[in-house]
Amino acid sequence: MRTQRIVWQGIQSLGTNKTRTFFMMAGTIVGIAALIVVVAFGKGIETKIMEKVETFGPRAIMLIAGGGKNAPPDMTVTTLTLDDAQAIREQVEDVEIVTPMAWRFRINMKYKDNQNEAVLWGVEPSWHEAWSWYAVEGDGITDQDIATMARVCVIGQTIKRELFGNSNPVGESIYVNKVRLTVKGVLEKRGTSPMGGDFDNRIIVPITTAMRRLLNVDYVGAIRIITKDTELMPQQIKKIRALIHARHHITPPEEDDFRIASPVLIARMARGTSRTLSILLIALAGLSLLVGGVVLMNILLISVAEREKEIGLRRAVGATRGDIHLQFLAESLTVTCIGMFAGCGLGVLITLILKQATKVPITLSWEPFVLSLTFALMVGLFFGVQPARKAAALNPVEALR
Amino acid sequence: MIEVERLEKTYSTGGLATPVLKGVSFHIDKGEYVAIMGTSGTGKSTLMNILGCLDKPTAGHYGLDGTAVGSLDDDALSSLRNRKIGFVFQQFHLLERATAMRNVMLPLIYAEEYPEDAEEMAERALTAVGLADRRRYRPNELSGGQQQRVAIARALITDPEIILADEPTGALDRKSGLEVMAIFKKLHEQGRTIVLVTHDRGVAEHAQRIILLKDGRVAEDRAVEERRDPDVELNTLGAGEDDG
Ligand SMILES: Nc1ncnc2c1ncn2[C@@H]1O[C@H](COP(=O)(O)OP(=O)(O)OP(=O)(O)O)[C@@H](O)[C@H]1O
Ligand SMILES: [Mg+2]
Repeated sequence: MRTQRIVWQGIQSLGTNKTRTFFMMAGTIVGIAALIVVVAFGKGIETKIMEKVETFGPRAIMLIAGGGKNAPPDMTVTTLTLDDAQAIREQVEDVEIVTPMAWRFRINMKYKDNQNEAVLWGVEPSWHEAWSWYAVEGDGITDQDIATMARVCVIGQTIKRELFGNSNPVGESIYVNKVRLTVKGVLEKRGTSPMGGDFDNRIIVPITTAMRRLLNVDYVGAIRIITKDTELMPQQIKKIRALIHARHHITPPEEDDFRIASPVLIARMARGTSRTLSILLIALAGLSLLVGGVVLMNILLISVAEREKEIGLRRAVGATRGDIHLQFLAESLTVTCIGMFAGCGLGVLITLILKQATKVPITLSWEPFVLSLTFALMVGLFFGVQPARKAAALNPVEALR
Repeated sequence: MIEVERLEKTYSTGGLATPVLKGVSFHIDKGEYVAIMGTSGTGKSTLMNILGCLDKPTAGHYGLDGTAVGSLDDDALSSLRNRKIGFVFQQFHLLERATAMRNVMLPLIYAEEYPEDAEEMAERALTAVGLADRRRYRPNELSGGQQQRVAIARALITDPEIILADEPTGALDRKSGLEVMAIFKKLHEQGRTIVLVTHDRGVAEHAQRIILLKDGRVAEDRAVEERRDPDVELNTLGAGEDDG
């Protein structure tokens, strides 16, 4: 077909000067690559956030001792108490579970010759339900255990493996902080946290045992609250904050001695940094496409001037204005389309490298590729039209002189 | 074949009107070999561009092969150039990066129907100008004379009604010029219509007929009494030198 032959003339002229062609497509390559990365990155972040929310508990509010925004729990803060938990239970409506937790990181335990270091949580029986985390061997913590300050514990899968290997731990005794505890159960496997920690390297004991016998404290590390209705969460958080303020005699400009975490806050925090990065990448993509388009246009304009004689000759041997227009448009569209493919390749490559390097669960999907094609065609058309018009408008007599 | 009646062309640059052609009339029949002569600036190229449908006259009538060119739009003119006219320029105007073959085939790209035997047609055209063995050469690998012969092959490939040559020997040395004229002679003998523009009487006298332009008008239009023969001249030229 005649049209195809003319389009092919445009494509062929790209092969004659490869450096020029490269500069024509550089902007498109960078722009599209940035686009691919930003979408993959955004999707990955979103997946990660969902994961975090899921682990945190979509219906959970955590009241954690110690101020600060995102600091690790501060073990030295002594102001959060069992009475605070009781006050929440009594005064905040529509909460299903309020369960306080005393905790200590890096606590040593021993069984025969085996040693292990793990996280210790002192919990109430409702802890199991609040985290949907139950004993798969033996039993969990019971009211009886709390009441009697029982010297018992329930261990995570990692502790079981480290201390007991393949033998059955239930009924055996281990030493934790020189206190002898009987293993009454083993928690189900939870795997690694989104932050990379090991959920299963954990030992839980009755909260009374933990506070009196093991840690000798009269305060707790955190209180976990499960709401009946996620819609109510914002008001409930407000209420809890006010309640603790009152109970701890804090008037707001004063710094809090606690912080509250919720799925919404967790998601917002996780998005925070990634959003700036995304905006930066989107700006880079847009800027590259724009600058690339302008460069493309200028190179084409120069090439129209350089190829005046060629254009005049083509007109003399029978090319119409439309044919010349089509040839130059085909040239710019081909440039941006090849640039798009190269950019997609580069983008996928960068994505895979980032995935290896950062452990962010970057997710490739088809949407950005469709988007890229649209952008490539748009840039090619938008910035190709003017040079094509200029070429087509040349007077053949003057072009040939 | 070509009917030119009271053709006028006036350029207007910056409000200043420059009349170049002031009523030119002549007819050229099919199979004629005509030279248009005149001193520099008399409007030979201007006339040639009009004959080649690259430019339009300001006034007057131009009929090509029964078509009134003045009534055609730009696209129709392009199509007409493609089908009926073969151009040969003083500066050859070959595509620098394309081989002789591709240069010769260029007009076919703009034809309505791409012939199936395009390659053979190009080879035949190159053979007709004696360059069958140079089909893969690029312009910078060819001499000026050879480049002009490639350009003639390009003009021939669409089997046009007329060949229009504006100073085809202007950029060539005498020998290459004569070789080009020998090709025109052969093409004329095969029945082609050739219109040649030159300011050189020696070149013009290879044609059958000379139209002399002067001051925007036809000053003289007569048959050449003693036509020159490029083949004979090439022979005498060859006898005078060592053949290279
Ligand atoms: N586009 C134009 N605008 C204004 N004047 C022009 C234009 N083209 C040609 N002219 C003028 O028309 C006249 C004829 O020009 P043309 O090129 O036809 O002459 P020519 O006979 O081919 O001369 P030469 O032998 O030098 O090639 C010249 O005076 C030239 O300045
Ligand atoms: Mg001229």
